[in-house]
Amino acid sequence: MFKQFTENISGNQVYLITSLAIFLLFFIVVSIMLIRSRKDHNDYMSDMPLHDSFVKPDTTLS
Amino acid sequence: MQPEKFYYDNKIVRNFGIATIVWGIIGMTVGLLVAIQLYKPGANLGNQYTTFGRIRPLHTNAVIFAFVGNAIFMGVYYSLQRLLKARMFSDVLSKIHFWGWQLIIVSAVITLPLGFTTSHEYAELEWPIDIAITLIWVVFGVNMFGTIFKRRERHLYVAIWFYIATFVTIAVLHIVNSFELPISGLKSYYLFAGVQDALVQWWYGHNAVAFFLTTPYLGMMYYFLPKMANRPVYSYKLSILHFWALIFIYIWAGPHHLLYTTLPSWAQSLGVVFSIMLIAPSWGGMINGLLTLRGAWDKVRDDVVLKFMVVGLTAYGMATFEGPMLSLKQVNAIGHFTDWIVAHVHVGALGWNGFLTFAVLYWLIPRIYKTNLYSKKMAAFHFWIGTLGILFYAIPMYWAGFTQGLMLKEFTAEGMLKYPSFLETTMRILPMHVMRSVGGGLYLVGVIVMAYNLAKTMLQGSLVSNEAAEALPLEPVYVKQNTDIWHKVIERKPIRLMVLSLLVILIGTFIELMPTMTISSNVPTIASVKPYTPLELQGRDIYIREGCVNCHSQTVRPFRSETERYGDYSKAGEFVYDHPFLWGSKRTGPDLHREGGKYGNAWHYNHLMDPRLMSPGSIMPNYDWLISQELDTTTTAAKIDAMRKLGVPYAAGYAQKANGDLDKQAQGIAENLSKDHIKVKPNKEIVAIIAYLQRLGTDIKANKTANNNQ
Repeated sequence: MFKQFTENISGNQVYLITSLAIFLLFFIVVSIMLIRSRKDHNDYMSDMPLHDSFVKPDTTLS
Repeated sequence: MQPEKFYYDNKIVRNFGIATIVWGIIGMTVGLLVAIQLYKPGANLGNQYTTFGRIRPLHTNAVIFAFVGNAIFMGVYYSLQRLLKARMFSDVLSKIHFWGWQLIIVSAVITLPLGFTTSHEYAELEWPIDIAITLIWVVFGVNMFGTIFKRRERHLYVAIWFYIATFVTIAVLHIVNSFELPISGLKSYYLFAGVQDALVQWWYGHNAVAFFLTTPYLGMMYYFLPKMANRPVYSYKLSILHFWALIFIYIWAGPHHLLYTTLPSWAQSLGVVFSIMLIAPSWGGMINGLLTLRGAWDKVRDDVVLKFMVVGLTAYGMATFEGPMLSLKQVNAIGHFTDWIVAHVHVGALGWNGFLTFAVLYWLIPRIYKTNLYSKKMAAFHFWIGTLGILFYAIPMYWAGFTQGLMLKEFTAEGMLKYPSFLETTMRILPMHVMRSVGGGLYLVGVIVMAYNLAKTMLQGSLVSNEAAEALPLEPVYVKQNTDIWHKVIERKPIRLMVLSLLVILIGTFIELMPTMTISSNVPTIASVKPYTPLELQGRDIYIREGCVNCHSQTVRPFRSETERYGDYSKAGEFVYDHPFLWGSKRTGPDLHREGGKYGNAWHYNHLMDPRLMSPGSIMPNYDWLISQELDTTTTAAKIDAMRKLGVPYAAGYAQKANGDLDKQAQGIAENLSKDHIKVKPNKEIVAIIAYLQRLGTDIKANKTANNNQ
């Protein structure tokens, strides 16, 4: 399959294919990060703007 | 561990807030003035300093960098302190940042009407101001990172990632798009020429939209919307994906401003593909914002702040759907250079940036003044008149864009252009221009009412300059946890986050820019293309000074409708000595790339003196001052020298002889004009600009003649 891609790329199209491949790779890495993220941490982060001043010790993760 | 007591700096937030309102009113008033000039050219107040070409950049710079710029700093200084649970790093740096930024804006207000411009859109300010911007930006960065380093919150909220990406990317964009060779105190030439200059400019131009008008506002949305609705952001995961995908993709999209030009086609395709992909992260952000209001929609009915947010987010969604559509080549062929683009930009600027700013102002000012908003009714009036203003602005502009775009492409059954006169298409859309200024006027009235309402709010309350807060300090040594993986690590490492953001935007930058800059086959040269004569070069600088590029493009696209109308389509090799390129982005008047030799010198003289003499109904302003003002030839040698340094092949020592050639050519034009009973001294500016206009696009014609003679 890849042979078909590489043989059909003419001239400067290599920039286009390379760019898309880099993005795909990047996107996969970010997606893995998301899948592996923990719910309690996400909840803590998304609540952050609502806690302006005093932080209760039990809500701090670190 | 005991909580620490500290104070948020609200004074700096208030100062940026007031600056936002003041510059907003000024910038929009100038916008209204230029809008009126597009159907009533006499509204230029009869002088060069307030004529469209010079003050349209003042309008764009004022609303982008003064109105939106100050609003960004207002939002960042308020939210950053609270998200990090720390006062700003340095009050002195905050003050330097505030006053430095205002001085930069004042310098723009002075220099742009005087005609000091680089001609790069949204980067018109000349080199000393560019340096000042860089310095003040660094002050902002140091203040921001200083605050981050002394924070009392380990993890950085998504809003702060957007602020960091804004800081680092704007720095890169501004520096690369300011590679200029100074000629005098307020004049410079760009290092790049033609196609390369165009690519750099629109890489910058599009990402100024991305990283000045979008990312900091998304950061503000992620902070202020949850506060306003009193509920957390809909999806934190989506915000991560939104952030990384957006900054990765945005940086590539610039070439969609250059479709069908002489930019290498692979770069155009790259711009199109990434522009279409951009819809995903953009809508991801919009959806995340709108869904944050889940369960709070009843509040939207009563709360004017949320109303502004909802319309602002909707406008963001519309503009970011339309952008990718306009990047499709078939759509772009009709929309580009027309009022459609003006409508698109203003849906974003008036709806997204404007309404979000108003929402933040209405929410924030009463809070830092510990009072209630002076009048909710006035705020509701502002919301409705603002919304109506956007509609009255955008709808006529869409209509005008479609109408003119299609008229310019229409052929008769016999295969002739149906509207060979460009002016005929312009006159057809003038009623829409009138309606647009009504829309702009309504919007401005709303802003003035807001200014009154907020001023009264401030007067009835008193500013809490230093707002007390408490938070636990960070543990001096961070104990790593088993759950510290992936993004959680990045979130507590600001420098790592900045470097990663930088890497992400540099990938696109390098792949897109480097080949065009370094591979010579991307810009094929043409033997017959010669450098401008000294008089033409001086004329070109007058063309730049007067901002002609704001209304006239200089690039003929390879469409039959354009080659029939203007002449041969433009080639990359024709622009190799154009420092800067002057392709333009809007055709309020016709393209001028093949203008040379189309009309006689007398036609140009009369047309510049009063366009309506030669083109009845024209909306171009009179340029009568070009007839009375003398050309400054003291700069010729410096200009030729600078061009030589940039690689333009003038002979060694030519700079000293240049004025001799200039006088000779000017004398020839003056004599030619005298045959048509026009008496003009050869040392007037009009002679130089005629020389330049008569040169435009003629190198290719000369080539054809040479080939035919062989």
